[in-house]
Amino acid sequence: MSDMEVWIVISLLAVATFIARSSFWLVGQHINLPKRVQEALRYAPACALAAIILPDIILTNAEVDLAISNPRLVAGIAASAFFLVKRNMLMTIFFGMAVYTYIRLGL
Amino acid sequence: MTETVSTELEKAAYREAVKTGIPTLFGVGAWGLVVGVAMIKAGLTVPQALGMTLLVFAGSAQLASLPLIAAHAPVWVVFLTALVVNLRFVIFSAILAPHFSYLPWKKRAWLGYLSGDISVGLFMYRYPEPGFDQRKLPYLKGLIFPNWTAWQVGSIIGILLGSQVPSSWGLGFAGTLAILCIMLPLIMNKAALIGVAVAGAIALATVKMPYKLGLLISVLAGMTVAMAVEEWLEKRHGKSGGQKDGQGRA
Repeated sequence: MSDMEVWIVISLLAVATFIARSSFWLVGQHINLPKRVQEALRYAPACALAAIILPDIILTNAEVDLAISNPRLVAGIAASAFFLVKRNMLMTIFFGMAVYTYIRLGL
Repeated sequence: MTETVSTELEKAAYREAVKTGIPTLFGVGAWGLVVGVAMIKAGLTVPQALGMTLLVFAGSAQLASLPLIAAHAPVWVVFLTALVVNLRFVIFSAILAPHFSYLPWKKRAWLGYLSGDISVGLFMYRYPEPGFDQRKLPYLKGLIFPNWTAWQVGSIIGILLGSQVPSSWGLGFAGTLAILCIMLPLIMNKAALIGVAVAGAIALATVKMPYKLGLLISVLAGMTVAMAVEEWLEKRHGKSGGQKDGQGRA
């Protein structure tokens, strides 16, 4: 992306933050979101995040790589398990990076 | 006289909020640091990364946008993706806004913009009921100002650090792990788990589609499946003679 395009993206991302966080503040008053809308709002972010990171974790050169030699896959699984037990983001990132580096460098 | 009493109350509320938020600040700063490093490792220049952290102020949306920027996805795809990732804030904003509906709109606009996950969580814990209370505004400010500062300080350190650390260290992967840590708590039931699995599988299958369109298709499919599963589970539960009238639920 050109410098100009990146700045356009940054401005639009600021707009996206504003829309999501401030819209109801500006509409004000009590608004009860319909149940189905609430569900959609709750499920969409998890789906988007999964769709972003799973290809990064599972693919090597755009091919599915489920081998134990794939450092991102092993570190991703190890970090998930670690997070589910410890519930601590920073420790999970450190742990996941340690596993990733260990396998990647073949230590 | 009443004036001074009320400002004393407000100052106390502000201090109470700062105290409540302190334990979270280290985590917020470190999370900012990870995002700061990730922005540089995704190829943003230092001014671009500084601009992003100061203007966007939404870690998960920033992280989500980085692989798309690196892959030269169209601007509108990046925007839509960030919007979808931010959707969870819409629920927070709907919960928090009624507490402050008496304020002028400009103030409401920036208070909403600055209220991230942690601040909303801590605020709702202290004041679960809507309605006017003069301590609410200073309490919210006592949460969001230190939160914003910790985030920005962490991010800026990360940006400067990131530009010094060689790419061979593989620090960009820390951004992926951070997204993982945001995603896992969002998978709160079976329906969400199935939705995430569907979204992930379709994302893998469509990874070669142009303009990262596969991403948007994955989200739509995952969300639709999750909602259908939830509806189906509810119906089955209702038929088996559960609490059909829904009384006694929050």
